[in-house]
Order: sequence, then structure tokens, then C-alpha cells
Amino acid sequence: MEHPLAPRVAAYLAAKMPAASGLTVEAMERISGGASRETYRFVARWREGGAPRERRMILRRDPPASLIDTERRIEFEAYRAFFGSAVPVPEMLFLEEDDGPLDHPFFIAAEIAGFQASPQMLFEAAGPDVLKKLAERKWTILGEIAKVDPAALGLTAVMDAPDLDACWRRELDHWEVVFDRDEAEPLPIARAAIRWLRANPPPPAQKLSVVHGDYRTGNFLYDPAGEIHGVLDWEMAHLGDPLEDLAWGFNPIWQFGRGLAGGLLPQADAVAIWRRASGLAADPAALHWWTLFNCVKGQAIWVGSAGAFIKGGNREPIMIYPAWWLLNAQDRAILKVMGKL
Amino acid sequence: MTPDVPSVLAQLALIAGRNAAPGVPDAERASDLGLTTMLLNLAAEVWDGAAQNLVVENRALRKLLAETGEDDDLRISALTAESHRLRAQLIEAHIAAEQSGDAARQAAIWGELVASTERRKLSISLV
Repeated sequence: MEHPLAPRVAAYLAAKMPAASGLTVEAMERISGGASRETYRFVARWREGGAPRERRMILRRDPPASLIDTERRIEFEAYRAFFGSAVPVPEMLFLEEDDGPLDHPFFIAAEIAGFQASPQMLFEAAGPDVLKKLAERKWTILGEIAKVDPAALGLTAVMDAPDLDACWRRELDHWEVVFDRDEAEPLPIARAAIRWLRANPPPPAQKLSVVHGDYRTGNFLYDPAGEIHGVLDWEMAHLGDPLEDLAWGFNPIWQFGRGLAGGLLPQADAVAIWRRASGLAADPAALHWWTLFNCVKGQAIWVGSAGAFIKGGNREPIMIYPAWWLLNAQDRAILKVMGKL
Repeated sequence: MTPDVPSVLAQLALIAGRNAAPGVPDAERASDLGLTTMLLNLAAEVWDGAAQNLVVENRALRKLLAETGEDDDLRISALTAESHRLRAQLIEAHIAAEQSGDAARQAAIWGELVASTERRKLSISLV
């Protein structure tokens, strides 16, 4: 049975690809997860220059209300900036910011097919050698992201470039607003953590970096041998302190209960890989600040998820599960990072 | 639990009904029903202890805040509303303790906050 979106996507692509004739969209299906974007895979088939053509593609469309509110263009440009670099990402094909074609903004990308992103499948199937190799690749790629010059990639044209000593405040202000706007209950642990963060700011960033914003196990495509083929989910990408990105993966939530950074290896080993790849320093006190900040940011995201459900903007079960599963676990992560648990 | 369990169960009933209809793409039905299963399991897990945990927590918070009184209305919604009132006051008390440098008071508040996460801890908790 044809997916209801398929003919609309086909019409859009046909208009964008004037050399193509007889364009069809087939095998369209929604990929599970995707609380911040609706994600679909499909196969586009057409004729061009008398020859049949085929390409597997991904559609990422904004939902009515999202777990994370971000601009579609920023995510698109972040992917585009890194395509063909040492940071593997899918090729961006089309960006549509108008609601007309598919009711909400979206982009279409080439699919990197045949690989997994699931942390659970990884931990069930991979042996220690594969996990070690994957960890090496994971933090090496993050180091590559950290060391690039955002201006050289053209990203300062689409992303705000804060002063080095303002990176922390910009991010903390941004996520505190989410609490103020969306929290459905008083959150004494997160609020205490925010007070601590404001009272104990980190040193200025050592450089302005591209920050992926959600770089963790589960947001890249891997193969059974431990290679990474695509870094995904750039919807929270921005410019800021490179330690922010390193520390996001050190939120205890992303240990997946395995007691290891990213569920893969001891945190000190991850930091060493990142330092080697990026050529940057990782001051322990600053890294601690950013780790606690990322626990607060995580909590803001789960609060936003619950808020979107409660306010009726998005009543899908994917909005409920993060809140039920993670709100208390994230509080415990905050307590752990603050040395209270 | 936030969002509250009754509103989630009502939504899951709608989703189950939607997926019982013909024409739902297989992958979307599988995703919906998989998430529904996990959420129902969590609702089942918290059901029995929900009122007890809230009564215990509200009692502990009143003691910390030097309030008297007990929970008379034992509906989860009423207990939750009282919990929210008390936890909002706890934030203010915590700020006051920080500003005055009262380390013992801060330690007592942190102790209750740690205990509150133990009460809320799920079997699938990642931390």
C-alpha cells in the first residue's frame, strides 16, 4: 500500500529535478524514533537521458510540535558543511522551508543504507574489539568536528558566533528558558544545578567550534566491524565551546547503564582520543562544568517532550516515552555529576 | 510521572484504536505499538506504589519545611498537586539555605532530593 506522503514527495521531487521524467516514490516508510523530526526512507525512481535511475533517500520533516525546537536550515547547512570531509554525513539534496509542499518544513537527503544506529543492538552484538574500534572512531570524528574553522565552512553565515567567554551563558540561558516555558512540575534538582552552573562558570572557550549538540552513541551509523558511516541528528548544531560537545556524551544517561562513556570505554580514554584528534585541551574543571550543563540540557529536552504532549502540540507516544523513562534518571545523573549520589 | 498516567492511558487507547484500522503503514503501526507496550509496562510498574510514594514524600517535605498537616485527599491527582506545592517551596528553601550559607540545611535538602529520586526510580532507569 502506498504511503499517503509518497505522491506529494514525488511531485515535489519532480519539480526540483526538471531533467527527470516519470518520477515515482516507492517503499516509503517512517523510521521509528525521531522525536524531534519525522523521518522517512524511500526509493525515488525516474528516467533521465533515456536511462532508468534510482536513489534511496531520507525525508526529515518537522512534526507539529517537537521535542527540540530548532531551525531546519541550520541542521541542513551543518550536514552540508561536513559532506565529503573526515566527518561522514549523508549528502543533503533539497531543503524546503515552506509549509506548502508537505505541510511542514523538511529536507531530503541521500540515504546511507545498510547500517545500524541502535545502541541496544550494538551492545548486544558487538564484541570488545569492535566496541574499542568504534570508540576510537567516535571520539576521533568528534575531534575532527571540534578542530574545524566554522567560518571556513561557511557556518558563521547561518549560525550565531558568540564570544569565547559567552558560550556557556548563551547555552545555559537558552535551555533555562525551556524549563521556564515547559516544565509541568517544580524541578528542584535541575534548578539547583542551574544555580551552581551560574555561580561557577567555566573558563572562556579555547576556540569557537562547531558543536553537533547531540553527539552520542545512537546518533551515528555503524557497521559490524566498528566503522562509522554517518553522523546523524544535527538539529541542535550551533557554534560554541568544543568541550560542550565532548561533555554531552559524558552525561551519565548516555552510559546506557554500562558504566562506560557512551557505553563504550572509560571516560579518560575517550578524552585522550578526542584530545589527540582535535589538538585541543580538556581542562577537567571545565569538562565537569559542561558535563553538568549537559545533564541540565538533557533534562530540558525531556521536560520539553512532556510539555509538547501536555500542551497538545504533539500527542504521539514518542513524546511520552523520553519523559517517563528519563526525567528521574536525568535527575539522578545530575546528582551523580554534582557528587550527591 | 509526567505527563500524568490517566492522560497517557487515554492517549494510548486512541493510538491503539487508530492502529486497529486498516491502512496504517506496517512500520508506523509497529513503532506505535512498540512504544505503547513499553509505556503500558511503565504505567503498570508505578501503579501500586504511586499514592504511597507521594504520601511519604509529602510528609518528608512538610517536615523539612516545618509545615504541619497530612494528606486527606488520597487521589493521585490531589497528592501530586500537593507535591508540586511543596517542591516549589523546597526550591525557595534551598535558595535561602544557599544564600545564608547554612550547610546543614543544604545537606538535609540534598538528602531529601536524593531520596525523592529513589522513590521515583524505575526498573529500567539508566542511572
